[in-house]
Amino acid sequence: MLRQPLSRALALTSPVRAAPLTARRFADQVQAQPEKVEVFIDDQPVHVVPGTTVLQAAAQVGVEIPRFCYHERLAVAGNCRMCLVEVEKSPKPVAACAMPVMKGMRVKTNSDLTRKAREGVMEFLLVNHPLDCPICDQGGECDLQDQSMAFGSDKSRFTDIHFSGKRAVEDKDVGPLIKTIMTRCIHCTRCIRFASEVAGVDDFGTTGRGTDMQVGTYVEKMFLSELSGNIIDLCPVGALTSKPYSFAARPWETRRVDSVDVLDPLGSNIVVATRTNEVLRILPRTNEEINEEWLADKSRFACDGLKRQRLVSPMLVDSRGNLTPVDWEDAIVATARALRDCPPDKLLAVAGDLADAESLVALKDLVNKLGSENTCTEQYFPLEGAGIDLRSSYLLNTKIANVEDADFVLLIGTNVRFEAPLLNARIRKSFIHKETDVALVGPKVDLTYEYMHAGDSASIVKDLATGTSSHAVARRLEQAKRPVVILGAEQLRGPEGAALLAYTQQLALKLHDKLADKSWKVLNVLQRTASQVAALDIGYKPGVGGALQGGPRVVYLLGADSGVVTREALPKDAFVIYQGHHGDVGAQIADVVLPGAAYTEKRATYVNAEGRAQQTLLAVSPPGKARDDWKIIRALSEVVGERLPYDNLDEVRARMSEISPALVAYGDVQDNNYFAQATALAQSLQKPLSGKLDVKLKQLEDYFMTDPISRASPTMAKCIQAVIKQKQSPY
Amino acid sequence: MSLGKFLALDKLSNFFNVIRQNGGIRASLYKLYRQDDVKDGVLVGEDKYGNKYYENPRFFYSRNRWVEYSDKYYLNYDGSQVPAEWFGWLHYKTDLPPHQDPSRPHYKWMADHTENLSGTTAQYVPYSTTRPKVEAWEPKRKDSV
Repeated sequence: MLRQPLSRALALTSPVRAAPLTARRFADQVQAQPEKVEVFIDDQPVHVVPGTTVLQAAAQVGVEIPRFCYHERLAVAGNCRMCLVEVEKSPKPVAACAMPVMKGMRVKTNSDLTRKAREGVMEFLLVNHPLDCPICDQGGECDLQDQSMAFGSDKSRFTDIHFSGKRAVEDKDVGPLIKTIMTRCIHCTRCIRFASEVAGVDDFGTTGRGTDMQVGTYVEKMFLSELSGNIIDLCPVGALTSKPYSFAARPWETRRVDSVDVLDPLGSNIVVATRTNEVLRILPRTNEEINEEWLADKSRFACDGLKRQRLVSPMLVDSRGNLTPVDWEDAIVATARALRDCPPDKLLAVAGDLADAESLVALKDLVNKLGSENTCTEQYFPLEGAGIDLRSSYLLNTKIANVEDADFVLLIGTNVRFEAPLLNARIRKSFIHKETDVALVGPKVDLTYEYMHAGDSASIVKDLATGTSSHAVARRLEQAKRPVVILGAEQLRGPEGAALLAYTQQLALKLHDKLADKSWKVLNVLQRTASQVAALDIGYKPGVGGALQGGPRVVYLLGADSGVVTREALPKDAFVIYQGHHGDVGAQIADVVLPGAAYTEKRATYVNAEGRAQQTLLAVSPPGKARDDWKIIRALSEVVGERLPYDNLDEVRARMSEISPALVAYGDVQDNNYFAQATALAQSLQKPLSGKLDVKLKQLEDYFMTDPISRASPTMAKCIQAVIKQKQSPY
Repeated sequence: MSLGKFLALDKLSNFFNVIRQNGGIRASLYKLYRQDDVKDGVLVGEDKYGNKYYENPRFFYSRNRWVEYSDKYYLNYDGSQVPAEWFGWLHYKTDLPPHQDPSRPHYKWMADHTENLSGTTAQYVPYSTTRPKVEAWEPKRKDSV
């Protein structure tokens, strides 16, 4: 359990939901930098701010002190005692992770006393730790293994002369993602701290003390969080390991490829671990500007969906209407004939949720060369007013990392927790550690922290924008020095979408005008998918509604699987081409199926919700006859007779940079502007709003399956089952 | 030693004898092309696949019994085409060829000889017991006419 002040424990509100007052400080307060103090780590002088711990000071001069319980992103617990160091004039060794530095302190991190203290701690830990490294999944990446090699004793004093055995603890069942072998637990409480601080689930805790201490959930209960997988990474030993990955591979057997996640709009940085051309697991890669070192469960565990329901061969519909596998040549020729015979105005291309920028560019170029302008995305965005002409209208302008500095966050029609779990973790972080308050317009959902609920009708946004609202939210917005408004792109779908966007823009502009810091961005639109921003940058029209009215004869679906294009909506004789990697909604209605590559199987560009271009790298090769997406379109163009002028990836990217240099500025994110102009253009769209805001992803069980990859994943299916079962349980 | 033998004239007569036995110059050249060897010998028997078995004690042991494969095999003959009953005679396990050996059992259930089919389309391929790494999508069959 977190050590918390009595005042906090007695507070009537739920203990996790309210941050300790001592920890809270105003985000905009610039604290005066106190004078630095000089300390000596192994006789090396270092100047640090008072309040720094010995461990952090040592890290500054490159001295790493061993630790189990200490973690940079979690509260200090100080219970593993592994970081004991000798401090001159101190009678006992001190725990470096919890000891603040004092002026002139002389720390010895490698003295006899320190070494002896570490060895002793290590010996006590190992007395009750099973010797099952050969069958432990953590083997090879285990902190206890590494540190016992580096700091432990070279011989054992453990003799079990009474054959009483080591301490043994029963395993817990915390859901289908995390496997627990509690006997291995060394009680570092990292998982408990993560659950209550970051994930906002206060189910974990300890019972008993001394030898009887156990980490668990008191009553057996699933870990109901969308960030649960991170406690696997946090666990320094093999007590918490990944269930889908259990006994699959050793870390030294896998090949690790840096990549980018595409299952949510944030584009979290990931490492794909592969062996024998198979994705075994996905781990987070630290990127302070996006995902810190966390990863959402869908991104982490949906990778087994990459091995199921795959399109491995081109398919063509036969005389009986059944899709049958054919050669590439037949499929390409049939597709090319359909494209060539189609009148330009009857040709429609629809880009789906997981399409990469390269194939988006290639497809748009091909369709344009054939004389058509009908390229759409599945997700809608209003085209009235400034539409998608100004990049700032459809991006997360504040940027993910800066949300931490906000002092007031207004969420409009979005359940950030499930639409962008790591953005929600950021908001929660600033809610916990700073004086940030959150308000929500939309359905009441559990965001893992307290927020002001302003109601779910769209007219509230209008009232806030026009200043006619008397709600407490309006007052707080007025006072905010760094307000953030996040609008869920899902709300823009209906007929009132344009007006809602217009009012949100006006509200953001009104707030921005009052700010002292003009470089602070207020307006944010949170897109739902990884492909949408790139598609809008390239010039795809958002939404297929209008294009379907025209009765297209040939429809080219580039991974369009969210079901907005259906057979019923198309004319009877329409020819549907599906290019993608999973047999899902799109492939079912197709006449030709061209198998493409999933995000782990190609080097491709994705632009995240902030407008940051990032690239995935090839971790495994596409299965069967599947090929890189842009190459399929390039090959097709040759047969159609409208040759696309690029032959390799560099040339495609050169073409991308012609369209928008931002698409190839990897890792960079541009500052957006022209908020006032966008608002001015949208002035005429400010019509009365009457609808209610609703979100698709309300509960945890809605979160797990949102795209073709996660829909094909057996792990995600198990998660949904487990969550539903847990919700029926009385606990 | 006769004069003829001393002058190696018997080799000459053997040569003509071989050619005569193998059916003339053309046929001998054909046999030489097909099996790299022409020999004279006594036809001991023929099996039901058309392979002919010869013997000539003039050659030393291990070369004095041989098989000439049936013409239908042309150049694609190999050792596994010798059926089991002739195998014993050919490899000196017995001196009695199958048709002269009354003690050999004949049962109804004895299978016909099959040659080794490796490398042909009829070869035996064990089925895989491992699951494929990637499960392909099976399109839904529409109600066929």
